[in-house]
Amino acid sequence: MAKKNRVAIVGVGYSDVSRGSGLTLDKLTAQSSVAAMNDAGIKPTDIDGVVVHSFPHQFVSSTHTAAMLGIPDVAFYSGNVDGAAYSVAAMHAIAAIASGSAETVLTLRTVHKAGAAGGAAMLGPQRGIPGNMQFGMPYGSFTGSHWAGMYMQRHMAMYGSTEEDFGAFAIAQRKFAVANPTESFFHEELTMDDYLNSRYIAKPLHLLDCDYPVDSSSALIFTTEERARDMKQKPVFFDSWANGTTAEADFSLVRDMTHSSPWMASKRMWSRTDLKPSDVDTAGLYDGFSFIAMQWLEALGFCGEGESGAFVRSGATSATGSLPTNTDGGACNVGRRHGANFFIEVTRQLRGTAGDRALPNKPEVGVVSNAVGGFAACALLTAE
Amino acid sequence: MTTEVLPPLPLPNELTAAFWDGANQGKLVIQRCNACGHFQHAPEPICANCLSFDLGYAAVSGKGSVYTFCIPTQAFHPWFEDKLPFVLAVVELDEQPGLKMITNIVETNPDNVKVGDRVEVTFSPLGEGFTLPVFRPAAQ
Repeated sequence: MAKKNRVAIVGVGYSDVSRGSGLTLDKLTAQSSVAAMNDAGIKPTDIDGVVVHSFPHQFVSSTHTAAMLGIPDVAFYSGNVDGAAYSVAAMHAIAAIASGSAETVLTLRTVHKAGAAGGAAMLGPQRGIPGNMQFGMPYGSFTGSHWAGMYMQRHMAMYGSTEEDFGAFAIAQRKFAVANPTESFFHEELTMDDYLNSRYIAKPLHLLDCDYPVDSSSALIFTTEERARDMKQKPVFFDSWANGTTAEADFSLVRDMTHSSPWMASKRMWSRTDLKPSDVDTAGLYDGFSFIAMQWLEALGFCGEGESGAFVRSGATSATGSLPTNTDGGACNVGRRHGANFFIEVTRQLRGTAGDRALPNKPEVGVVSNAVGGFAACALLTAE
Repeated sequence: MTTEVLPPLPLPNELTAAFWDGANQGKLVIQRCNACGHFQHAPEPICANCLSFDLGYAAVSGKGSVYTFCIPTQAFHPWFEDKLPFVLAVVELDEQPGLKMITNIVETNPDNVKVGDRVEVTFSPLGEGFTLPVFRPAAQ
């Protein structure tokens, strides 16, 4: 399929990442932005677009970010609080560049640890729960862990999957984390007993199914193919990308929990490329909860419907498997970067800057994904 | 000094008040389009099926089945500290395919609940003048 107006990733960067850094959202944002500009070998004056995704209760402004970084004038900006986390920023930047609205766009996801509380964190001090949250919270539905446990239960009921299947994913992903000591917060391999003995948050969801809340900012810089060719790093290209949503906005009330928005996004993404699942050499699949990455394995067609547990148990997602997945260790181990880490890690693998973690299969095509439930997005990245 | 722990209380608005009023009267009522008969939950200002703004509330049978559930074992609000573990569930109502609500399954051992179980509505006082429609295993 002929591609016009190709968009490339030319720079990636992280802020300091920790549990309770005391750093403000703005400072974290500035740190990751500078890291990404240094990686790309460009200056603020080379950037003409800024796109930020943040939580409504942890809002980071795109125009303020531009001003803070000394970017004199932006041709495109958007500050989002809606949808599939970092991928929203990525999708806006791709659209801006492909349409000619901007040439070089800084994309950001900044999150403080407390964002983990999700809906509960959005509750103000007022008495009474506003809007449609009043149909969930009085029943005890407060955080992502609650819908996550219900998505897992539905999968188990429909396909006979087990807690051990989800555990297999946590174990496989931890192996990558152990090989990434500078970014991972966890340095010991997991056993199935470790997983099964980790406490339940919302049975069948275990603590070790959950991503690790941290203070972090992640930044990637996108530009046109023409500009990318002249920059410091080997560019990585977006081959195809897509959002997907369900007809129901509430994650707990989607029509089909085992076929939520990743299925819509995946179908749309594959319809826009000549590449096939068998062409993909590595994957970065969102793991806000381990079942999410497993729904992506099924939605993207890497395994059969309901068969993600068997696929992971076969070793397919390991470093030497057919689809090394979450090779940085995933957000369960490197901390919640809300999707951006997958774009960053797959970029590093495709352009050959993953250092000791460079995959033996020398990947040329990677897939990245973000979110589940009501909204999701995915993209295919290529080394050329 | 002890601090009273308030339940997480709804803040009724023009769209939601009928649901809570119904529950206080021992009825499960769900928003329904007066033009096409489509049920929707949670309520919205427009019918997603026919785009009518003429929406009301209608009583439903209160019968349904467990679409999925989980058993929270950590309280994310102080009200639930002494209520763990409990069953947080999504129940699909018989009135319309895909018509679902978040609820609790009560009057049963949490470990006995299964996806697909038939359930029926019952009402549980929440406090401060509110009542929660919840579900229990259906009578045979």
